[in-house]
Amino acid sequence: MIAVSLWLLATVDSAFIGYREAAGRNALIDKRTYYRHALIRGALFGQLAVLIVGVITAVALVSSSDARAQFSDIEAVGARMLIVYVPYAVILLITFCVRALPSVDIRSITSVLIFGPFTFIRPLVVLAGAVWGIVAARSVMTIALVVLIVTLMLGLGYALSWFRARGLIS
Amino acid sequence: MSLSTITRHGPEISDAIVSFDPVTLQRKPVKKADVLDQFRELRNHEAVRIVQRIPEQDGVLDEAAVDKILITSHCEMQRMSEEFQHGKRVAELLKPILEALRHGGVKNPIRIVDVGCGTGFVVRWLAASGSLGDDVQLLGVDFNVALVNEAERLASIEKLRCQFAVANAFRLDEPATIFISTGILHHFRDQDLSYLLQQHCRPETCAFVHFDFHSSPMAPLGSWLFHAVRMREPLAKHDGVLSAVRAHKSRYLLEATRSAAPEFVSAIYGTRLWRMPIPRVFHSLVGIRPKYHEAFIRNMGTRIASLGKIE
Repeated sequence: MIAVSLWLLATVDSAFIGYREAAGRNALIDKRTYYRHALIRGALFGQLAVLIVGVITAVALVSSSDARAQFSDIEAVGARMLIVYVPYAVILLITFCVRALPSVDIRSITSVLIFGPFTFIRPLVVLAGAVWGIVAARSVMTIALVVLIVTLMLGLGYALSWFRARGLIS
Repeated sequence: MSLSTITRHGPEISDAIVSFDPVTLQRKPVKKADVLDQFRELRNHEAVRIVQRIPEQDGVLDEAAVDKILITSHCEMQRMSEEFQHGKRVAELLKPILEALRHGGVKNPIRIVDVGCGTGFVVRWLAASGSLGDDVQLLGVDFNVALVNEAERLASIEKLRCQFAVANAFRLDEPATIFISTGILHHFRDQDLSYLLQQHCRPETCAFVHFDFHSSPMAPLGSWLFHAVRMREPLAKHDGVLSAVRAHKSRYLLEATRSAAPEFVSAIYGTRLWRMPIPRVFHSLVGIRPKYHEAFIRNMGTRIASLGKIE
């Protein structure tokens, strides 16, 4: 459950990273297809990050002398990370629901009060969740995994921009 | 982008790196050293750094490089406009005006001219929405050829029914029935603002709607935050924040309008949300000929709550 929740959050987060990376680069009026591609691209890049973390976690568990203890350590840290990430995600989810109301003013308020500030603090939230998790970590391997996850999630936008700068995505 | 941008008062970089002859509309060369000196004098080191990075040819800012930066900046600004649903906002205010004009028997077609349209987001959005009616002609004008070319390119891709021209909006062969603009007013100060507003006083012009940043104590900080998270182009970040800092106060805009364009009744739309002390990002200066005033008020419906005292 913890792993699934983290995967779900990582997928949604990376989809929005894809959206943000693509935003402000296309001046057409109808950009539904453009943004749909950006969301899918972000989510797929996110899966790549998840895959990297998954493979390394599997290797760590297989090579560990006490795989059960290592697994419960990772789970405990993951649970603590969710304590930080879930409220952030829930607030954004509620805001998306509010934004669905057909009012220019209400939609603007959601941007002013939530979407803008929350995008601004996202790196801090990612780090806060990681630190909150690491505090309870019992093994260096778990700490290394958390650092890897944070690096991948914070670096995803830069990776997408790197690909775009080289004409690999449009 | 440093937070110190919110303490600046000087011109925006985009105002300093391009220059046009107001009569011939020909672009004039801009010496890089002059622009740098201007910003150094203002102790705006961030602007100095941004301008320093712009390529030059024989001491003159490279026009192609400047245009590329401006087009990129406009594209990023459009993203912000989309987030705040600016197109819809403009349409919501234009519709009651158009209905009032039609009711008053104004001559067809009704010509809406977007002053300083840049890459034409508002005009293209209105054309794409098709919500204003078939009797409305949409024209975007700007002094900058590169921005107008980009607007035309984008409109042709989406086959939009609108036009763009490199022109002075107030000297068109076919004059505007309604002038609109977005983010233009704060570029004009004192006499320049009065002169701009006086230009509306021509017989064919029935109304105007000028959107600009709403000046409030929180606006500079809010604008800084948004430009920090939404923009990439350093010039767009710098100028976007400065725009909010330099925004005219509602009262000042209204007094300037009533003095410069007394033929119109005018008001500020959308200073507060739902009559509550929640400031808006944008407010708009609305002016309409007295002949259409009553119908306009009637057509505003519940939105009238957001319209200040109209005089």
